[in-house]
Amino acid sequence: MARTRGGPWRVKVAEASMLPAIAPGDWLLVDPTVARWPRRGSVVVFREPDTDELAIKRIAAGPGEEVRFREGLLRLADDEAWLTADADVETAAAAGFGAPRDSTRYGPVPLELLVGRAWFRYGPLRRFGRLMSG
Amino acid sequence: MSRLTDWLAPRTVVKAHCDLPCGIYDPEQARIEAESCYKIIEKMGANSDPAFTTRAILIKEERAELTKHHLDVLWHDYFKPEHLDKVPNLHEMFWNATKQASKVKASTDIADAKKLLDMIDEIDEAWIATGGAEKTRVAKQPA
Repeated sequence: MARTRGGPWRVKVAEASMLPAIAPGDWLLVDPTVARWPRRGSVVVFREPDTDELAIKRIAAGPGEEVRFREGLLRLADDEAWLTADADVETAAAAGFGAPRDSTRYGPVPLELLVGRAWFRYGPLRRFGRLMSG
Repeated sequence: MSRLTDWLAPRTVVKAHCDLPCGIYDPEQARIEAESCYKIIEKMGANSDPAFTTRAILIKEERAELTKHHLDVLWHDYFKPEHLDKVPNLHEMFWNATKQASKVKASTDIADAKKLLDMIDEIDEAWIATGGAEKTRVAKQPA
């Protein structure tokens, strides 16, 4: 189903759960026209299910795929993705933050909460360039 | 140049969200909420006033939900994979305790609330066995 999305095009990253690929303070370009979950490894901006805040994470599994969760397997619904942080607890702690929050906390994220795909970093200039798929 | 930077600067912040790094975890937080459920059920047995019963049910449901929340925070944030060596049944323990908290939310049987307290005590033992008391609390001032 094609949908029009009015997400922000330019965003600034706060907090550290996407280190080392994406750092606090990075300026990113977001494509808000995506109508379905991008492929695995893409970085997405979405509304966090438990806080409704704009958040950024990487797609670990897409609709219909299975993910390991609490020593079991979880099959995602046709409109859901499993979004994870790049940083582990130690990396986030070294940057002065607590444990990263992702789907292991709030579960699968439905498509209606997707805002767009982050695809390019335009600041700081020394890290200018396309975001790599994980 | 600074005007260009101002023009380029994003107006929207997205969070690569992390928890606050307070690092304070203690099963006591869940136990206090579960004790509230226990006491409320006890009081409900001794008072048949419909207004009291309505309030008691509302409060019990709220406290049971808080119990579940505090257990989830312990499970997700305090316990780490390396703790499974010392507590091999860790996941089962939390799975059962959070299920029991849901049961207490709907139940008026005091035995259910007592069982939840026992399960939290078991989690407390796991927290102590993994050094939680030393690692995650701020020591009180010596008397």
